Order: sequence, then structure tokens, then C-alpha cells
Amino acid sequence: MKITVDRVKCEGHGLCEEAAPSLMHLDDEGDLVIDVETVTEQGDVDAALAAARVCPVAALRVA
Amino acid sequence: MGPGPRRIVVVGYGIAGLTAADSLRAGGFDGDLTVVGEERHHPYSRPALSKSALVESGDMTAHELPAPTHDAFERLGVAATGLDAQRRVVALADGGELPYDGLVIASGSRAARLADRLPVADDVDELVLRTVDDALLLRDRVQGQPSVVVVGGGPLGMEVASGCLAAGCDVTVVAQGRPLTRLLGPFLAELFVAAGLRRGLRVTTAAAVRVRSQGGLSVVELADGSTVSGDLLISAVGDVPNTGWLVSSGLLAGDDLVVDSRGRVRPDVVAAGDVCAFPTPQGVRRIPLWTSAIEQSKVAALGLLRGDEAAELDYQPYFWTEQFGLNFKSVGVMPVAGPPELIEGDPGDAAALMRWRFADGAASAAALNYRIPVPRLRRLATAQAVG
Repeated sequence: MKITVDRVKCEGHGLCEEAAPSLMHLDDEGDLVIDVETVTEQGDVDAALAAARVCPVAALRVA
Repeated sequence: MGPGPRRIVVVGYGIAGLTAADSLRAGGFDGDLTVVGEERHHPYSRPALSKSALVESGDMTAHELPAPTHDAFERLGVAATGLDAQRRVVALADGGELPYDGLVIASGSRAARLADRLPVADDVDELVLRTVDDALLLRDRVQGQPSVVVVGGGPLGMEVASGCLAAGCDVTVVAQGRPLTRLLGPFLAELFVAAGLRRGLRVTTAAAVRVRSQGGLSVVELADGSTVSGDLLISAVGDVPNTGWLVSSGLLAGDDLVVDSRGRVRPDVVAAGDVCAFPTPQGVRRIPLWTSAIEQSKVAALGLLRGDEAAELDYQPYFWTEQFGLNFKSVGVMPVAGPPELIEGDPGDAAALMRWRFADGAASAAALNYRIPVPRLRRLATAQAVG
């Protein structure tokens, strides 16, 4: 599955980073960087979905 | 794990119930999990409802949260109506019963209504914004650019006012005292009020005492004898915890559902989110905010599975709002008194990074139209005084 971020929606709240620190992080400008774009292992998929769920602006998609 | 619960019921399916279900699984619970949601919708982003969702077109699917992975049995569109904490059974509106040996109460809160506090004529159509259905209705009603009266000067009222203004409506906010002051303190509040006024917002600071309907308009009578009228009346006067189904459960303290630092009401019942009050350094209180619900739910899920061995809640206040062209994030305790220490920019130019230090060594930090990773904002809020 592929993780994508809607850059227009993303406001850098950083809750996703807390949920999936091994997959994504906010850079120094507050922009989200997806470190692992394609997830296959179940643990990573779960973490990616958990990250997407806590986003208060629903800016992350995992599909 | 030891002889923990094998059958857990989660009542409520907002971000608190969803996070609790996820956290139970992440914490190793592999027994039967049932989630009961009063709304027919799957969980969605509530903060977006009073922000982007109000002025966007299209359906609300953009604000739906991704499909859950907790593998729970979902009961959507059915409310919990009662709890027998001795027999360990949740009663449902459809007459069904759900037995449990572990219960998560995440039934949230609902919009408070003016009609609960002051005389409101029966023919007044009081709109509120709490659910996705509320948002769809409201968005539909502002299409014709009606004049709008928003009663309530908290963050929700001001966000709704901002959205209605952006939709082309003529908007008056009726607030007791200057909007946002109780939440943010006078310095920050004034930045938002000024931004609103520049965009044509009207603000009336007097208490509403009565609402009537006249010639198709809603007329709000104020304590100073004046009135404010609009085609549309929207109230944003706080929220009321959904504890009605718990009244005879024996779990309420007075009217309140209070949890300990691990989210427990009792060993086999935890609660999280807008429904409950929890211990904070400022006292036991409800903090009905998105990140609060998430943090509480993670703690409560483990509190249910592990009891005293679970970690305690260490709530880190985080608040954000978007209104009148201002994007604001704060970390640390609010309200703050007085002007901030300016780290970058100047709030007069509508972009600033600010900090307030308190006598006890703590600090609060806020970013206004200033893009910053929240972890960095948190570091600013915990930084000790330097040189």
C-alpha cells in the first residue's frame, strides 16, 4: 500500500509522526516527509493507517 | 498478559472510541471487541467540520478517517441507553444487550443548546455544529448567503463565524465578554477579533437573554436591552457530556464521569474523550479537544488491560484553530496573560512565533501563521529560561 499526503491539507500537526515515526517525519519547515512510501508488512500497514486516522485534517491517505 | 478481559465493548465511535479500539489491539488484546456508535457514519475528522468543511463543496468523504484495522464488530447507528455495571451489560436502543468483561466509555458529548439555558421560542431554528450531519446542514443553509447570528465566542463560535463570513454571509457574533479571551487570554484573543473585524465581522459583547422569531428572522435579545437579528441562528455555547445512559450505573460522581490517571472509572471500566473528566495539573477537568481524546484513549486502553502497570496520562496541552485568515497552534497551558516573548516575526504582521514563561519554570509557545513542526513548538514550550 502507498502512503500519500495532501500537501494543501497538511498543517504539520505531527500526530502522524507520533503514530508512525518509522514511516514519516516533519522536516525543519514543518513539512511532512514520507520516509517509507510503500508499505507491505502488516506492522507498517497498521502504523500507516493509524497515522492517517489521527490526522485532524485527514490529509493522509493509505491505499 | 494475565487473566485480562476477553470481551471488551467500546461505547462511542468518534476518535476516542476508534483510538481506544486500535490501542487495545496494539496493546495485545486479541479477544472479542465490539464498538457501538450512535451515528450512522464511520469515524471522521471532527476538527475539520468547523474549518475547511464548512466552505468546501462536495461530499464529506474527504474528512472520513481511513478504515480501521482493529477487527472489531461494529454496531453503527445504535445508541447505548443503559449500563448495568454489576451484571456487566450495556443496553442498546434497539433493545439488544451487550455483555462485557471490559468496558470503554467513549460516548463523547453533544452540542449544548441555548434552549437549555434561556427562553427560546419554539419556532426558532437553532443550528449547532457538532456532527458531520450538522455540518452538511449548515453548509447547505449558508449557500444562499443569509445573515447569520452566532451565539458563543469560544473557538467553535469564532470558527463557524469565520466560515460563514468566507461563504459571503453577513455575520454577527454574540459573546459574553470579548471572544476567545477566556480560552487564550486577552493578548491572543484580540489578534483574532481584530482579524475578524477587518473582514467585516460584527461582535456584540452582551449576554443573550431570550430568543424569538419574527418575520422569518431569529431575534436574539441581549441583557443590555438591544437585539441582534439574522436569517440564521447558530449557537456554539459549549458541549454536554453524553452521560445520560450512565445515570443509573452508579459510576457518575454527581453529574460527572471522572477517571483516574490511567483512565479508569473502576478496574473493569475505563473512559476517554469528551465524555469524562481526568486529572490534570490544573485540577480534574474535561478537555474536549481532538488531541486530548487521542491521548486519553491510548492511556485508557492500556489501563483496562494492565491496570496499575499501565502508564499514567501525561497530558500535553495542544490547541489549534483556523479563522479569519489566521492559522494558530499552541502548546502549553492557556490562557496566557500579557504580551509574549517574540521568537520570530511579529503578531502585528500576522506571522509570529511566541512564548510565555511562567514563574514555575513552565512555558507556553504559540505559532501564528508560522509553519513549524509541532515537536519543535513543544521544545520551545519546555525550554528553560536561558541567559
